[in-house]
Amino acid sequence: MKKLILLALFALSAAPAFAAVGCDLNDPDRDVARLFPASTGYKTQYLSVKTAGGAPLLARIEARLGDKFKGLYETIDVPYTLYHIYKGKEKVGYIHGVNQKGEFGGIQAFITLGLNGEIRAFYIQKLTSKGAAALRSKEFGEQFAGLTLADFAAYDPVAGKVAGEGPAARLKSPSPAADKDFRNVLRSVKKNLILMDELLFSREQK
Amino acid sequence: MNIYSVAYKNLLRKKVRTALTASGIALSAWVLATLFGFNRGYESGLNRDVDNMGFQVLLTAKGCPYEAATLMLKGGTGLRYMEEDVVKTVSSNKEVEAVTRMLMQGVFDPNKGDSGAIAAYLGVDTHTFPAMKPYLEFKQGGWFKTNDGYEAVMGYEAAELEAREVGDPLLIPDLGTELKVVGVLKRTGTQDDGTIFLPLDTVQKIFKKEGKLTGLGIKVDKNADMGAFENRLYDLPDVQVVSMAQVKTTIMSLVSSARVIVFAIAFIAVLIAMAGVVNTILMSVIERYGEIGILKSMGAMPLDIFRMIWMETAILCSLGGFGGILLSLATARAAEAAVRHFLPYTPNGDMIAVNFSIAAGAFGVIFVGGLLSGVYPAWRAARVRPLEAIRNEGE
Amino acid sequence: MDTVLTAKDLRKTYHRGSEDVHAVDGVSFDAGAGELTAIIGPSGSGKTTLLNLLGCLDNPSSGSLSVGGEEIFGGKAELSEGTLTGIRRRNFGYIFQKFYLIPTLTVLENIMLPGVFYRGAGAGRTPQELLKQLGLENRAAHLPAELSGGEMQRVAIARALINAPKILLADEPTGNLDSKRAGEIEEILHTLADGGITVIMVTHNLELARTADRVIEIRDGRIHAQ
Repeated sequence: MKKLILLALFALSAAPAFAAVGCDLNDPDRDVARLFPASTGYKTQYLSVKTAGGAPLLARIEARLGDKFKGLYETIDVPYTLYHIYKGKEKVGYIHGVNQKGEFGGIQAFITLGLNGEIRAFYIQKLTSKGAAALRSKEFGEQFAGLTLADFAAYDPVAGKVAGEGPAARLKSPSPAADKDFRNVLRSVKKNLILMDELLFSREQK
Repeated sequence: MNIYSVAYKNLLRKKVRTALTASGIALSAWVLATLFGFNRGYESGLNRDVDNMGFQVLLTAKGCPYEAATLMLKGGTGLRYMEEDVVKTVSSNKEVEAVTRMLMQGVFDPNKGDSGAIAAYLGVDTHTFPAMKPYLEFKQGGWFKTNDGYEAVMGYEAAELEAREVGDPLLIPDLGTELKVVGVLKRTGTQDDGTIFLPLDTVQKIFKKEGKLTGLGIKVDKNADMGAFENRLYDLPDVQVVSMAQVKTTIMSLVSSARVIVFAIAFIAVLIAMAGVVNTILMSVIERYGEIGILKSMGAMPLDIFRMIWMETAILCSLGGFGGILLSLATARAAEAAVRHFLPYTPNGDMIAVNFSIAAGAFGVIFVGGLLSGVYPAWRAARVRPLEAIRNEGE
Repeated sequence: MDTVLTAKDLRKTYHRGSEDVHAVDGVSFDAGAGELTAIIGPSGSGKTTLLNLLGCLDNPSSGSLSVGGEEIFGGKAELSEGTLTGIRRRNFGYIFQKFYLIPTLTVLENIMLPGVFYRGAGAGRTPQELLKQLGLENRAAHLPAELSGGEMQRVAIARALINAPKILLADEPTGNLDSKRAGEIEEILHTLADGGITVIMVTHNLELARTADRVIEIRDGRIHAQ
């Protein structure tokens, strides 16, 4: 009976209500150590377009992205969780993830960045897709290392194409089943880099 | 001028003492109102949570106390099944108003997180389930129309996590089955928020569990003898009865034993406040012995003096009690947060519900307690003989 | 002059262990309307005890007392506190050496205070009239702490007069005042007596006593001289 009650309590319990859903690492202690092997610690910061600049900032981000924020879950008040990564007292980089609507479900894609904003690693935390295994493969993720926001400027998320011959143009879908979600992933990376530029790097310069 | 204003002005003589005593009374009124409010809020919250389940009795296969919890605790395995025939057996009882069949299934999704996680799906009967959960409202779309379509209704949080809207496809990982989202529910604050509902026959088909159920929700006639009905269900082979009424009773009995301790503390708080009142009023009576004697020499009857001193007590308790009630209203949210922090299970909604009757009840207890503690000092004052006052002047 | 108060063979005996102390020992005494009587005597002579018996603040051990023709004590059982209060309400006003004003009430409120408990039928003058008579018009809204000793005693007198008593009893009314203020109070008491109120005061102040219509000297509980 005791067990039954505990289970019933569990069933009755509900998660607390939040306005919009963010994108956090499932297990930050473990994930940070894995994504930044040399790191010794991290600090968490919460950012949002609504508080950082409101509608004008959103309009600028959308213009740079070349696409509108869409649907019920990509809104101005989404809280973004930024992890500042440290080795001792020295900052060595950042980890930031965004939610992206995928073909069959939500995608949670993270990038780790150096202090100058270049991508060091790419990691899909969650993905529901027919090409999930390919998109989450090590080989696919490694292609993003070294790319910057400038490389993604040429990516048009609406057309799903990269203009020109730059490094971003060399990124290829890992399997035909993953084509749609490959394009979704590229959109998430471009959006992520723009957000980092608008919410972090351009402010640090000022 | 009347006896009330005289009493009120008497209290103003020692403002700090009056304020401290009133604060003591306010604190005990605050404790009382908050505890009364908690008592009521917790019970009604629990009732609401249980009622929101839509059925009072859940039948599961033996060894599977609660499907969703089992899935989470056992990592997608360990589900047990009942044969669908049980529906007929159960429905034949006259107490049964309605039954709804459920089949919970889960698949392991390796692409959820670093080491994968369970994705759970609840197959429900579209003809009976929505009627049992009338509080479920849709943010988008609505229920599926048939029990065998490849469609899904998503709880608010499930839809948020998967970024699904009506019309979007939904993939069952591992099986590779594609479904179409036809409804997204509004947030309910219950486990339904995280649930993905599919038509029952579809779940039976794609998971190859035809004729099997993991749960049978039973709505019982409110006037029926629940105990007798449950006893009959216990006689069914290989099923287990989870009675929400029983769960509720057990939780409430746990809460009641905690409540006894808490109310004992509240009682002590009231006693301390009452001791403070006796002390304050008695001191002020003793300090004013001479004055009270003079009032009597001027024509004040013992009852007049009793009334005047009692009135002072009443004013003091009213001010303190009122202050305490305001404090309890102002701090209800903070107190609730503290309670939520310390209790393992807390129902949804306002848990500390301080309403007019609770405020009036707490005020009444403090006021009556205060009046009782004022009796002795008032009686002492009424007994002062005018001669004593005059003797103090001495020959 | 009509007799307002008649005391006959009043006695008050206290028991201290096996010893009987006769605080008042067979005092007989009349007071007429508008008469000002001073009771003097050394400390412990029983003058205040006598005043208390005359003012119905205490039951005598024996003897009789009538006020305005009404027999109050006279061989009957001890009167209850309530009965004594009723008699006091109708007949007496009191003033004391320490004034006993309520510090949180204004002058006007202090004067009105007896009226909160009892308002005699066809009672005396309004508080404002009393304020005027006693020269306190400008002090109505003041608190006792803002007054001089003489003013406080005048407020106490006004308070004693609010229910229009037949008899005003004063226990050392100038005991806390300097000679100038004492003179003012003396004048007021004379004015009241001239207005028909019977004034009986206990005092150590022989100058004040000398101005009275009659002086009674008490020694060892008995009238020594008058």
